[in-house]
Amino acid sequence: MATPITAGAVAGEYMETLVIVEWRVGIGDAVAEGDVLLTIETAKAAVDIEAPSAGVVSAIFAEVDSEVPAAAVLCLIGNDIADVDYDGGEAPVTGSSSSSTPATAVMAAERAAEAPRAAVSSARIVASPAARRAASAAGIDLRVVRASSPSGRIKLRDIAGASQSAPAFAGSAPVSAGLPVDENGPLKVHRSGATGGAPVFLIHGFASDSLSWYPLDRQLAKSHPVYRVDLPNHGASPKRQVSGFADLVREVRDAFDALDLDGAHVIGHSLGGALALALADTRPRKVASLTLLAPGGLGPKVNGDFISGIARASRPESLAAWLKVMVRDQTLVDLPFVKAAFAARASAALRAAQSHMGETLFADGTQSFDLVAALHRLDCPTRIIWGRKDRVLDWRDALQAPGHVGLHLLPDVGHVPHLEAPDLSLGIISALIKSI
Amino acid sequence: MTVMRYAEALNAALREEMQRDPSVFLFGEDIGRYGGVFKVSKGLRDEFGDARVRDTPISEQALTAMAVTAAMSGTRPVLEIMYADFLPLSLDALINQASVFTYLWEGQVDIPFVLRTQGGGGVGTGAQHAKSLDAMVCHIPGIKVVAPATPADAKGLLKSAIRDRQPVVFLEHKLLYNTRGEVPDGDEVLVPIGKAKTVVEGKHVSIFASSKMVIEAENAAKLLAKDGIEAEVIDLRTLRPLDLDAIRGSIAKTNHAVVVNEGWTFCGYASELSATIMEHCFDDLDAPVARVAMPDMAIPYSEPLEMAVLPNAVKIAAAAKKALA
Amino acid sequence: MINAPSTDELKDIHHKMVVTRELEEVLGTYAKEGKTRGPIHRCDGQEAVGVAACAALRADDYVCTTHRGHHVYVGKGLTTRGIVAEIFGRETGYCKGRGGHMLLGDVKTGMLGGNAIVGAGIPAATGMALSMQILKQDRVSMVVFGDGAAQTGICHEAMNMAGLWKLPVIFVLENNQYGLTVRQEVQSPVEDLSIRAAGYAMPGEIVDGNDAEAVYRAVAAAAERARRGDGPTLIEAKTYRVKGFSTSDMGGYQSEEEMAPWLDRDPIKLSAEKLSALVGADTVAAIEAAARAEVAQAFEVALSDPFPTFEIHAPSAAYSETK
Repeated sequence: MATPITAGAVAGEYMETLVIVEWRVGIGDAVAEGDVLLTIETAKAAVDIEAPSAGVVSAIFAEVDSEVPAAAVLCLIGNDIADVDYDGGEAPVTGSSSSSTPATAVMAAERAAEAPRAAVSSARIVASPAARRAASAAGIDLRVVRASSPSGRIKLRDIAGASQSAPAFAGSAPVSAGLPVDENGPLKVHRSGATGGAPVFLIHGFASDSLSWYPLDRQLAKSHPVYRVDLPNHGASPKRQVSGFADLVREVRDAFDALDLDGAHVIGHSLGGALALALADTRPRKVASLTLLAPGGLGPKVNGDFISGIARASRPESLAAWLKVMVRDQTLVDLPFVKAAFAARASAALRAAQSHMGETLFADGTQSFDLVAALHRLDCPTRIIWGRKDRVLDWRDALQAPGHVGLHLLPDVGHVPHLEAPDLSLGIISALIKSI
Repeated sequence: MTVMRYAEALNAALREEMQRDPSVFLFGEDIGRYGGVFKVSKGLRDEFGDARVRDTPISEQALTAMAVTAAMSGTRPVLEIMYADFLPLSLDALINQASVFTYLWEGQVDIPFVLRTQGGGGVGTGAQHAKSLDAMVCHIPGIKVVAPATPADAKGLLKSAIRDRQPVVFLEHKLLYNTRGEVPDGDEVLVPIGKAKTVVEGKHVSIFASSKMVIEAENAAKLLAKDGIEAEVIDLRTLRPLDLDAIRGSIAKTNHAVVVNEGWTFCGYASELSATIMEHCFDDLDAPVARVAMPDMAIPYSEPLEMAVLPNAVKIAAAAKKALA
Repeated sequence: MINAPSTDELKDIHHKMVVTRELEEVLGTYAKEGKTRGPIHRCDGQEAVGVAACAALRADDYVCTTHRGHHVYVGKGLTTRGIVAEIFGRETGYCKGRGGHMLLGDVKTGMLGGNAIVGAGIPAATGMALSMQILKQDRVSMVVFGDGAAQTGICHEAMNMAGLWKLPVIFVLENNQYGLTVRQEVQSPVEDLSIRAAGYAMPGEIVDGNDAEAVYRAVAAAAERARRGDGPTLIEAKTYRVKGFSTSDMGGYQSEEEMAPWLDRDPIKLSAEKLSALVGADTVAAIEAAARAEVAQAFEVALSDPFPTFEIHAPSAAYSETK
């Protein structure tokens, strides 16, 4: 019996369809648990779908660039290549593969989607009807609500608990009040791309997650294995209190060390840029190059309103306002983009944890961690890419860099160069990597 | 208010309605000279005579069929079937006659008869004299079914049933006959058919019950209160037509439902309640509806065995706690 | 003669028997053409039982019959148009198309009613008689039931109570020899079912079911007895079912030899002979022509009557509210 793979909850509750961006595997490929199978696009966000368990890709139902229902079965992971029967679905006909026409693929996917149990079991949330209704009304993502009942079913009281915890951070109440119990476990690292080639290690910024790397990751993965870490309280990583910047550096370094990479090209954005700098400072022999996109840690100034506002935003409308602060070209922040971004932050618990982390790291609206000295200590090839219209951090902080660090100060670009000027950003990074 | 036993309340209802309307008559086994094996018709033969309080042969099948057509032709019969266990003998008359002609001959005839019977276990009457077959009669379109739990409701509902234009199956419980309660004075105090009553107010879990199970549910509520759980007990009083508004209102408040019936579980009356709640209150539910009913087997005789199968307060409280867990 | 029908009554009986026969024959034609719904249970050859028995009752007396009751419907005074409209499921039918040919009822004529549960008419009439006794009315109720129904348990229960309480009910056992495909002697150890009356302390009598006058006399006497308060009577009317169980009957179990003597003694033929002697053949022919015209007219009107529209039946509802 093969395991049917769907986008599951990552497709986002607003999405009816998704687009297949890229298959990272082919029929017959052996995959390990956690391997990226494919990348899909919902609105403007890209999502990697990973193998829930080890096996062999026994069928692929949807072709690259085809649009399929959000609940469609995308491929099968079987015990071997002939293992194409799965619960609730018809066995695909022979030859139903990546070479099938998009129309057939969509039809096959739709047929499979009708099967009620076709979804990956881990995506099934057990919640009472009343809890579902209450969560929907409060904009709470059931995926992050913990069930208190021994039955494992999320009940009304669990939603009440989740919705009560959010306002506690929004107001002036002590930030630790009502915080959920710390979650254990290592940071989530998403792996994609080629098996050979020099590894790339990506660190996202505050109130973002590894999905934000989509424009870069899609291209870099063609010739490199790409590792994208989710910071604590972000994306799929555990939610736990971070006592300060040093604590955060230790967490990222642990995740980096666990991968045992040699000659990694490390790229960080914003807070991730500061972390990348700190990582390179303490693991000089493991880091082959460093790219810092609008990095933090080079000066005290930070847009404190942005930090607290984006972390708290509990409605798509308020999130949109802060997203617009990040970019120069406001048309980038359109409705689908906002909805996709909000879907990733729909969890009140996640927002609460990030608010708390933001207040810890940027207390008094200040970057209290200073990495200018570390930047001067670096001896690996380093580039800083920064938009001159950045309204979150001050691009002039880049001017403190020593002479061997290349500066790319882009006009008419805001805080997110890799989103606002993706081709230029990629070109700079590719040239840097090739130069090693 | 007068404190009465349940059987006395029924007796008063019969007397008052027979005095009020000469077309009301009683018939059934042992109801005349003896006054009924549960003494519900005690003294009525002396007051109204053999013709209107009539002892019958043991002929439940024909008696029920005769009640149907007697009702069609000008009288208001009240038939006593001694045990609910004998209801299967009445079913052809209820299903193929009363139900059918309520619809087919609508506008031509009314069918105002009452079939009184009693069921339930707890006193060692054995497998053929202890059943609760509520679901069997509630399955039939056009038949109303009531199951009062208190003397006041017993009297008020029986008077309503006798005056109703449709057939009414009136379900009593052998263990209720000697229960006492206050009954409002007056010949015109009726309890409407189709209206449930909240007997205990609570906010955590709704317990729906009828007949003797209401007492068990009230006791369950007391047990739950010791754990800080406030159970709401709804006495359905009428099983068909069911008071959907009362069910909706209570579940909207508590989000949890325990449905109780002394009959068998599978395809039982509790199952119907459960399905009704699922259809009409789904989004209010915070846990699956819990059924508390008789296990699907014949009722044993020996006391520990019979007590093991009967639904009771402890089982109801356990079901409520499970729903709330 | 006591309890004998008048000449006018005989003319009316003859008219109604011909109406019944014509109704059955036209229905048979429609059934063959596939234009009827469900089976039709024809009573050809048994017309004298239903028509003459009803003729001996008053308009306010009640009668119950079987799934094969067209002769009772016509006999008790229902209009042919209303019967045909019901059979064809029309709004103008006696039950607005809800009942069909077996479950027709009309309280105004005291016909309550057809019943397709074999034996159900017996306690039905007994229950009505109980009502009449309690209300101290001088009405009677009558049930026309078959030899098949006589074998049910409920027949025993009902007759026992009728005899016990001296209820004003007349049991007309229309012995047409067959319960579906099985002959009466295969269903009963006694040939004359009327002997069972003794067990219920009521008179039991056998009459020629194909002789309308004989049926009338017996029922009239029983009605008189019932109205006096002397209780029920069992009348076994011997007759024969000539058209099989229903229009869906495949046949093959009733032989021509068995049927021939009954066809010779066709009740309408016998009635016409007697009536011709009293009023002349021309009058009889005119009665028959009028009867056929009435039936033809009834079909014409009823078949262009509207169908009913469906509505949920509120009194049958499971919930006390209607939201």
